[in-house]
Amino acid sequence: MSWRRALAATMLAAAASHPLLAQGAAAGEWTMPGKDYGSTRFSPLAQINAQNAARLHPIWTFSTGVLGGHEGQPLVVGDTMYVVTPWPNVLYAFDLKEEGYPLRWKYRPPASPNALGVACCDSINRGATFADGRIVYNLLDGHTVAVDAASGRQLWSTRVADMAEGETTTMAPLVTKDRVIVGAAGGEFGIYGWVKGLDLKSGQILWTAHNLGPDADMLVRPETFHPPYDSGPDAGRRSWAGDSWKIGGGPVWGSVSYDPQLDLIYYGTGNPSPYNSEQRLGDNKWTSSVLARRPEDGALVWAYQFTPHDNWDFDATGTMVLADLVIEGKPVKALVHFDKNGFAYTLDRKTGRVLVAAAFANANWATGIDLTSGRPVTDPGKQTGASKGNVKGICPSLEGGVSPASPPAYSPRTHLFYTAINNLCMDYAASRAARVKGTPFIGANTPYSPGAGGYLGGFIAWDASTGRKVWENKEAYPTWSGTLATSGDVVFYGTLDGWFKSVDAKTGKMLSKFKVGSGVVGNPIAFLAPDGKQYIAIYAGIGGDWSLLSGDVRADDPADVRAPADFLKDIARHTSQGGMVWIFGL
Amino acid sequence: MTMRGLRSICAVAVSLCTLLLGACGARNAPVAHVQDSGPPAIRYEDHLAAGGELPKGAVPTNPNANDPAKVQAGGVLFTAMNCDGCHGGGGSGWVGPSLADGRWRYGGADAEIFASIYYGRPKGMPAFGGQLGTDGVWTLVSYLKSLNPKEDVATESWVATH
Repeated sequence: MSWRRALAATMLAAAASHPLLAQGAAAGEWTMPGKDYGSTRFSPLAQINAQNAARLHPIWTFSTGVLGGHEGQPLVVGDTMYVVTPWPNVLYAFDLKEEGYPLRWKYRPPASPNALGVACCDSINRGATFADGRIVYNLLDGHTVAVDAASGRQLWSTRVADMAEGETTTMAPLVTKDRVIVGAAGGEFGIYGWVKGLDLKSGQILWTAHNLGPDADMLVRPETFHPPYDSGPDAGRRSWAGDSWKIGGGPVWGSVSYDPQLDLIYYGTGNPSPYNSEQRLGDNKWTSSVLARRPEDGALVWAYQFTPHDNWDFDATGTMVLADLVIEGKPVKALVHFDKNGFAYTLDRKTGRVLVAAAFANANWATGIDLTSGRPVTDPGKQTGASKGNVKGICPSLEGGVSPASPPAYSPRTHLFYTAINNLCMDYAASRAARVKGTPFIGANTPYSPGAGGYLGGFIAWDASTGRKVWENKEAYPTWSGTLATSGDVVFYGTLDGWFKSVDAKTGKMLSKFKVGSGVVGNPIAFLAPDGKQYIAIYAGIGGDWSLLSGDVRADDPADVRAPADFLKDIARHTSQGGMVWIFGL
Repeated sequence: MTMRGLRSICAVAVSLCTLLLGACGARNAPVAHVQDSGPPAIRYEDHLAAGGELPKGAVPTNPNANDPAKVQAGGVLFTAMNCDGCHGGGGSGWVGPSLADGRWRYGGADAEIFASIYYGRPKGMPAFGGQLGTDGVWTLVSYLKSLNPKEDVATESWVATH
């Protein structure tokens, strides 16, 4: 079996150069949302390569029976593939040993339909994680569940979030040792954002750490908290006018990364609430930030705010990719993050200090990031607020230079990061908002327009050691899928109009494409099936923000008819809702 | 939280409170009208009734009718109560369904819309009767009825671009 030997050699090479990649599962599996603790989304499989990728074709499909936006990704553990749907959050387990991949079992949790009115932006789920024989994931209605991976039996279900406060749970949990790390969405509902550490065995909540507020609530202890840029005591409270932190947002709806050697978890926080920034003057720490904590007890170790006093809804919930890079000749344990605000950041993940920051998308709210202070150099003309009226032409739009729903990938072979991008700008008319618990708390009208250049999205390769774009493919529509990089030097992504593409990792040249039936907002994975062959899996199923923005792409509700979207009028010519799992092979 | 939220609304929209004569000022007063007349019947426009026999129930009528002042106040309330956060500006549809396309999941008669707002609906529509009281909900009904297009919203306009 030559593929096994080749695989072993690849794994050894990867393990030698990248200790993060050696953590966790075997090379042919995909056991956690971002493939490994570093969330690199790099598969060491190489059967599919730049020479043969043109032969890729669908070998299997499955309708999930659900129409919501299919973000996230399947898991492959041993000879089983696991798929979590958007609400009602069905968990399917497919037997990869049998022809046609029939179900081993299906788990249907009692997910409350009330969640559909509390989730800001469609009924999405960003995936499950596997640990210790359990599949762990979040239901939209605020429950975290653990299911026996072999039998489909529910082991525990814990209510972690409160829908009455506007909290829902869309993020992908991460398990580090015996802790399950979860957070809640609700930046559009004025939640008091948090992460929690649960016991993997019992589901019991062991600690709760708020992302804003007084040091005691944030699990900030003077002896362990060392932010890279001075913030003073109680920064999470004092950087807010009055009591505005109490309803200040700071949700967690992306994913979590982990460095086992430093024993730190990393996650991004979302926007401060409400969008009208004049109701919460100050930096609003630690919203639109990255936080590093100890998984054992939740203690905050450092925090860095990408967008102080975020008045553009530039959530920082995008993935924190951990990679060991060489910067100016020196090896660096880096954390790389593509932010909604249009800048890509390379941080020292031990300290949180910014090493490299540069715009990867069309951005005009700031001219750059000052590496001495870590703060953006903002354009005063692009500051928003109710007293400023309609502020026009801000780039990027609040859909982000990239969406946090579109995680990037890192290839240790090319030393490049790959990510989908959006090319949209916005007007921002803020108005005073009143918080009514459990209803949206927003206060801004923000119509979008295409960015310069005549395209709405794209896909780029990025050198995070220097902050330079290496190549770019333009796309007609905003690009909302995650990315997969592989050892075969083939990179995969999907488009909003429903094309699933493979491109050459070195050049961006397209190698294959296939129309998968609905827009792609999910993340591709690679796995090795029991037949010894490498396959690529991807969800189709337009949704997430695009269920709000695409105009009339639905057909299941005769009582909800909408005009076409004004900045992408013809998207409904190319796609409609509908969740499918696709598997491609050679 | 709730009380602070409502105070904010009153501070922002003093005229609204004047217009509503109760949505804010009578926040603590008992909600009387509905209890007096029994529950509003949930009568869908195209309902099915077993045996062809409709369930009995009061069918309250909108005391505002088409009063332009109430329509305007309802528009203010639609934003102040964050209805637009789910249903979009002007009720054009967002994460919640469009309210401006002339089509209704739970019926478009005044009493049916009243029931949807007052008691909430499955799939995420919260009950606003506790916050708004009867008068406030009727004011919203007046606004929403004013949005009704004469015909269905066109969904084919992308064809016209080609």
